[in-house]
Amino acid sequence: MDILNGLLLGLNAALEPVTLLYCFIGVFLGTLIGVLPGIGALAAISLLLPITYHIPPTAAIVMLAGVYYGAQYGGSTASILLNLPGTPSSAVACLDGYPMAKQGRAGVALFMTTIASFVGSMLGILALVLFSPAIAEIGLEFGAAEYFAMMLVGLIAASTLATGSPAKGLAMVVLGLLIGTIGTDINSGVSRFNFDIPSLMDGINLVALAMGVFGIAEVMSSINVSRENEVKEKITMRTMMPTRQDVQQSIMPMLRGTGIGSFLGALPGTGASIASFMSYAVEKRVAKDPSRFGNGAIEGITSPEAANNAASQTAFIPTLSLGIPGDAVMALMLGALIIHGIQPGPLLMTQQPELFWGLIVSFGIGNIMLMVLNLPMIGLWVAILRIPYSVLYPAILVFISLGVYSVNSNTFDILIVAIIGALGYAMALLKFDAAPLLLGFVLGPLMEENLRRALLLSRGDLATFVDRPISAGILAFGAFLVIWTLWGALRRQLKGQEAARDFSD
Amino acid sequence: MQHRDTQDLVGGLALAALGLFAAYYAHDHYEIGNLRRMGPGFFPVSLGLTLAVLGLLVAIPAWFRQGPAIRPAWNTLFLVTLSLVVFSFSLKTLGVMVATALAVLLSSMADRQFGWKARLLLCIGVAAVTYLIFILGLNMVLPLWPWSA
Repeated sequence: MDILNGLLLGLNAALEPVTLLYCFIGVFLGTLIGVLPGIGALAAISLLLPITYHIPPTAAIVMLAGVYYGAQYGGSTASILLNLPGTPSSAVACLDGYPMAKQGRAGVALFMTTIASFVGSMLGILALVLFSPAIAEIGLEFGAAEYFAMMLVGLIAASTLATGSPAKGLAMVVLGLLIGTIGTDINSGVSRFNFDIPSLMDGINLVALAMGVFGIAEVMSSINVSRENEVKEKITMRTMMPTRQDVQQSIMPMLRGTGIGSFLGALPGTGASIASFMSYAVEKRVAKDPSRFGNGAIEGITSPEAANNAASQTAFIPTLSLGIPGDAVMALMLGALIIHGIQPGPLLMTQQPELFWGLIVSFGIGNIMLMVLNLPMIGLWVAILRIPYSVLYPAILVFISLGVYSVNSNTFDILIVAIIGALGYAMALLKFDAAPLLLGFVLGPLMEENLRRALLLSRGDLATFVDRPISAGILAFGAFLVIWTLWGALRRQLKGQEAARDFSD
Repeated sequence: MQHRDTQDLVGGLALAALGLFAAYYAHDHYEIGNLRRMGPGFFPVSLGLTLAVLGLLVAIPAWFRQGPAIRPAWNTLFLVTLSLVVFSFSLKTLGVMVATALAVLLSSMADRQFGWKARLLLCIGVAAVTYLIFILGLNMVLPLWPWSA
């Protein structure tokens, strides 16, 4: 009953003309930046963050969220037509989407990924509606110890389950935590690591960090990337129609993908990218004829697409019900909520029901808009995709600079972005993933505060983390993750590293 | 063994060095306190040491392993960074339009296929779009031209 009332309340809030308008702007921009390789949801959200200061909080969050899940729709377009992923989570769609395009089935691939995205998103939203209230209930029991444990496990999960080496992921998390300590310490008022530069007293600006590490670094890595592989087929409604066999072959994979995506999205630390890789691996394993994969198997695009969309919806579960972001985008979203004076956490649902339910209902509306945007209007996105990157990136650089400047009206922040961008490029070059870094950066101050508070309450007794049952349970899960990762790494070492390397590169 | 895994070797060592520096600096400047009442130095010192250990964990195995060489695009890195720095310094002194044109000019030099005519057209185009979005659309208060700064 409560859920029904909530949904009705949310419907009211989401149907306000302002909210609808920003929802549309969000999903439109999301599809746009999803389609374009070389700029991702993170960069777009951080670019829009300063702009949202002037609009109502619900509309602001609805728009930013729309960018995030809208990008999941657009991402596969570039994968299919250019063999170049538009967003990290659609990298898997290259494996079978591009072969389909070369066989003249680009239209079908685009159609089926949109359907899969829609199915995954809608079921993901259902999971969000059903589980958030229950999890928020548990969250009410959380003290400082539980929060610290939860964030610790989230960070471990983010770094160890990511594609690539767990040690590198963990190192990036710790680096992020360390960058988070720059600036004034809230407990003692001491200004840390400011090196006598006044602008560093307030710490590194979240927008500047995200733009540098994602925006600038992505631009640098994408300049002069060849696009000779482009499939120049004309996409019309007729070429998009799937055969009956295509549909039949996709139903179960879509549902499996949704299941995997919903689960991984809701876990703190794992997200859309991991979900899409994992569901591809699962499909390949359950297939009767695994050799079809990589040669244009339709399950190879529908299952991962359903998975990454489901994950991007359920990722809101820990963020909204516990106030703990599961991935870098959610960390930005959390930052946006806090900027608007909203404290996400278990009390959000009872104190701000209009925002909470309005946001959820807007996801549903946004996904319907995305269906319309992506099916009849696919021609527009294909046309945009064919704009050469060399024309786009100088504009992207200027927009990023102005976006960062607008946060504090401070030109020094643009210099910070330039430095962070160069470092971000170095990290991309050395194959160090920047997403865990951003997560660590956002969680750092919260973690330190909760750690100090927990130990203050227990009079310095570390046993408080295992004496309290919820905290102990969370930590046990974290320990399990670590052991599982170590075992996996060991097994891979024994099997020879070749296979694993091909997959992560 | 012709090629060590330079990616992890360089990255790991850099992180380890950064971690050690942070731990040393924090230890030197901020009070550590104890578990019961932590000082501002406690968290940074522990993080710095953890980062140093993790950096070594990344670097040491890389020494015994082969890997791909690093191929940085120095030209791109330099020009894009320079365009941002120039933009930062010229925004308030030369105005948005000139700053934008300069940034576009510098950054577009990173692309190999551009001709000079296209480059100049792009400068004007991006400056116009910037004006429409940020000044007209979003009402940002910034000097437009050198003489209005």
